[in-house]
Amino acid sequence: MIKVENLTRRFGRTLAIDNLSFEVKQGEIVGFLGPNGAGKTTTMRILSCFLPATGGKVTIGGFDVFADSLEVRRRIGYLPENVPLYTDMRVKEYLNYRAVLKGLSGKKKKQRVKEMLETCGLEEVSGSVIGRLSKGYKQRLGLADSLVHEPELLILDEPTIGLDPNQIRHIRNLIKSLAHHHTVLLSSHILPEVEMICERVLIINRGRIVASDTPGNLVGLMRGAPRTIAEINGPVEKVREGLLKIRGIISVIHESDGDWGRYLCDCEKDADVRPEIFAMASSCKWIMRELVLEKRNLEDVFVEVTTEEKEL
Amino acid sequence: MVFFLIASGSTFLVGVIKNAGSNVFLTNLLFASVVMWLTVLISIVSMRLFTEEVRSGTIEMLMTAPVTETEVVLGKYAGAVTFVLVIVAPAIANIFALAALNPSIGKIDEGAVVGGCIITFLVIAFCMSMGLLVSLMTKNQIAAAITCLCLIWIMLFLGNIVSAFPFMPAKLVAYLSVLAHVDEFSRGSIDSRPVILYLSGSAFMLFTAVRVLESKRWK
Repeated sequence: MIKVENLTRRFGRTLAIDNLSFEVKQGEIVGFLGPNGAGKTTTMRILSCFLPATGGKVTIGGFDVFADSLEVRRRIGYLPENVPLYTDMRVKEYLNYRAVLKGLSGKKKKQRVKEMLETCGLEEVSGSVIGRLSKGYKQRLGLADSLVHEPELLILDEPTIGLDPNQIRHIRNLIKSLAHHHTVLLSSHILPEVEMICERVLIINRGRIVASDTPGNLVGLMRGAPRTIAEINGPVEKVREGLLKIRGIISVIHESDGDWGRYLCDCEKDADVRPEIFAMASSCKWIMRELVLEKRNLEDVFVEVTTEEKEL
Repeated sequence: MVFFLIASGSTFLVGVIKNAGSNVFLTNLLFASVVMWLTVLISIVSMRLFTEEVRSGTIEMLMTAPVTETEVVLGKYAGAVTFVLVIVAPAIANIFALAALNPSIGKIDEGAVVGGCIITFLVIAFCMSMGLLVSLMTKNQIAAAITCLCLIWIMLFLGNIVSAFPFMPAKLVAYLSVLAHVDEFSRGSIDSRPVILYLSGSAFMLFTAVRVLESKRWK
């Protein structure tokens, strides 16, 4: 669906996007991550035909974004980051206008606008002036607008920013329900959300792709295995010795918490040492109150690849 | 709208009172006052056309919709011209109101009114295309309005400016002077040359505007 080859974009002397290449297949939901200023918005603007590239080639559904920009624009729904809307217009009026602009007319337009007002929960404000709406409603109106012409590709720049938890859940489900019929490329800073919605994650930093895989695989590729934490009430040195004897534990860090000792065990990759730790504690009659395997998540991956620029 | 009607109406009235007794055409006074205030109206209407879109970011929504640059420019232009026409139309009625109130005026020359309407429309069409181009090329609304107003006033008084230089041919002056055209048309004498001048001028401005908008995609 999206094919980006050696995309480069300069703003004067600064290099915003540096030789970026990636592909998104039909029906995929792809999360587009990166720290602020990494080039996410610029890439999305190029994909949506708003900005031209300095170099490289981008095709969407087989059409070049520069040469066949009109064909591309017919096939995409784009929601910019700050959701610019005409604040003097009314909600329904605006949606009608956008639907006409995107080539809908007659019964089809009426039906789609009605559907969009329903799906995005805008019915109760359909007669309100946009300028007086809350951020959440504006966000939903922007989303309704980007969906109104049933685009093949949705490009969403931080779609859930400014929404309350209920609305986020609603929008998340809405995006999930779009999968398979539509292709979605969304950027977000809320990583658990990306982990939940997206089948694949692209992480870019300083204009280059630093990671591209499923959230699960990315977490798996992390350096080192998860850390195991045990809280045990017992003589510190003995516990430490005991822990170090267990196969798979590389090092142990002790933190004291009153009578209790908190032992942070760095383990070998794929090693699960929890049963051994429990067996040891019970055989020595030490009391244990916590034993957890600390799970690495997308956030750790994000921090690692965007701070060290390590390629995965 | 109310402001425009009061302003142009009172200018007309002042003109009528000042020229009472002399044999100046009423239609001349009417359309001169309308065109005077039109310059301000057009500057204000046109200043927002593109600068506001850029400032609020809605240009991003507009240009990522499947519409061509030509459609955007013509759509904005048509909307703005229609808006101004709606505001201006009632002002033309002033002359009939005056005639109804003052029986000594006698019959209004309809031909002259039609001529005046034609030149008013032409001036609106041309000035709006200029205002649209200015709005597209400036970043700030106020800057756009002032630039547009200056350009329109230069055009309006081009005749007077050029005639200050004696080496300029008088024919060229007559051809370019907007106020002279307004005067001529609102006497009922319709000349095809100004019509062509304004229409081709508007077309050129709009064409340039489309190119300027297209060029923004390249940067």
